[in-house]
Amino acid sequence: MNKIAYFASETWASLRKNLILAVAAIAVVAVSLGILGMVVMGWNMFSNMIKNAERKVGEVDIYLSDLTTEEERAAIEAFLVSIPEVDPTKVTYKTKDQALQEFKERFKDQPELWEYIDENPLPNSYELMTKDPKDVGLVVGRISNEAPFRDRIEDVKSASSAIEKLENIFDKFRQIGIVGVIALAIVAVLLVSVTIQVAIFARRREIGIMKLVGATNWFIRWPFVLEGISEGLVGSAVAILVALAVKVWILDKLIENLQFLRLSLSPGLLAVLFPCMVLGGVVIGALGSAYALGRFLEV
Amino acid sequence: MIRMRRVTKIYKGNVYALEDITLDIEKGEFAFLVGPSGSGKSTFIKLLIKEEEPTSGQIYIADTNISQLRKWKVPYLRRKIGCVFQDFKLLPHKTVYQNVAYAMEVTGKSRRLAEQQVPEVLKLVGLGHKLDAFPDELSGGEQQRVAIARAFINRPPILLADEPTGNVDPSLAEGIVRLLERINEAGTTVIMATHDKAIVNTFRKRVIALENGRIIRDQDRGVYGYE
Ligand SMILES: Nc1ncnc2c1ncn2[C@@H]1O[C@H](COP(=O)(O)OP(=O)(O)OP(=O)(O)O)[C@@H](O)[C@H]1O
Ligand SMILES: [Mg+2]
Repeated sequence: MNKIAYFASETWASLRKNLILAVAAIAVVAVSLGILGMVVMGWNMFSNMIKNAERKVGEVDIYLSDLTTEEERAAIEAFLVSIPEVDPTKVTYKTKDQALQEFKERFKDQPELWEYIDENPLPNSYELMTKDPKDVGLVVGRISNEAPFRDRIEDVKSASSAIEKLENIFDKFRQIGIVGVIALAIVAVLLVSVTIQVAIFARRREIGIMKLVGATNWFIRWPFVLEGISEGLVGSAVAILVALAVKVWILDKLIENLQFLRLSLSPGLLAVLFPCMVLGGVVIGALGSAYALGRFLEV
Repeated sequence: MIRMRRVTKIYKGNVYALEDITLDIEKGEFAFLVGPSGSGKSTFIKLLIKEEEPTSGQIYIADTNISQLRKWKVPYLRRKIGCVFQDFKLLPHKTVYQNVAYAMEVTGKSRRLAEQQVPEVLKLVGLGHKLDAFPDELSGGEQQRVAIARAFINRPPILLADEPTGNVDPSLAEGIVRLLERINEAGTTVIMATHDKAIVNTFRKRVIALENGRIIRDQDRGVYGYE
């Protein structure tokens, strides 16, 4: 108990003395862990969205030009049914009017989206399912290259191609995020180690005297290790507050307002993420002080 | 208590600070280590607290060969040896009481024990009334007494003093050495390095004289012997 009181008071005195440096170190710890938290939450939201969307992956939509004649349409339909990878019982025709009706149904809570439409902008379309979701790309290719009256086909879309594109974009984001987090974590470790070096330098005389009267190496080191770890802990606390604010004021609003994207955060996520952030702060602080002690305190 | 066997210390640049030193200092002895500047007195003391390592030879303290001592055991060696230096080595932002209590704190003794023993030892060195003063409010002689109290607080079997009177007014120097003598009479082995001829001649203790890193004289109840 006596020792704990001693270490705590030494740590606090030292932190107070180089307050500006300590604040900078804490800020960088907070930024790196905060970004980590946001990347993890963002990634979780996105992968939940993908999971919800994956049911539709075998689906291909073919949008027809309004100029398509009845004969052309029949020929296209015959072609679609004849594609060996396509399930012939799941080729359905949807008229512009049906499409508009469906749209109104889906956004009946937001009538401002369709109330003022006087000319239907939605095209006639075919919706088909492949027998096996993995053939989606093949089927899209065949339709684009082999279908009759291809100038009447305005667009061929598969859910998976859209998802793949999104996945690629988000993967980039995640990679940049992770690289950023690692780079910032390294900067944070270095900054913590600078504050510890300054603290060691400020107390070099005292350290010499401690050695002289027989203090053990760990007795000398502990206050510095604690100083590094408390900087890491305070940084992670700030990061958690920021992440929480982002969740409540941004992510929850997105989830609520963009319901059609079916965004969500996994229920147990924060209970795992936040302790991990605290641990990250402790590790950054401990590494920073270990680095400083290893280089500048020969005992 | 202290045995040195053929101890040689060569610093970088081929400086022979100590050469082929062999001697015994028994438990309870009081020895002056004398010699001109650069003769190796401070090096002698640094070897005993493992602040420096001998280039060759063996040093035993209480039958432990300290050359073979594991690094982590060095602090425990230092707890057995109190040290006093010419420049006092007090912490300027701690009071007299705190400076002495510090040596107990560092070795894990309880605060209660410090509250009992620190004032006692400070009274012993004649500073019972200055517990709350800071080092820069004290004279050199008083500061050195604080340093001696700190060196003695854990009752070490050995006390080393490197020119303890060097920064003390000559009229107060004798008082400092009297203090060391009293500590010695209580059973602590004391080794004091000094230039001070008057002191050495007054106290008539064992005198170990160094010159160019060699022992040129080792005499009981000796005198300084240089003119
Ligand atoms: N760290 C060091 N590196 C190199 N040479 C050193 C070192 N310390 C001491 N010396 C040299 O070793 C010799 C002995 O020095 P030491 O300090 O032991 O002498 P001393 O008897 O204590 O002198 P003084 O009475 O001036 O304090 C001197 O020549 C000194 O220059
Ligand atoms: Mg010297």
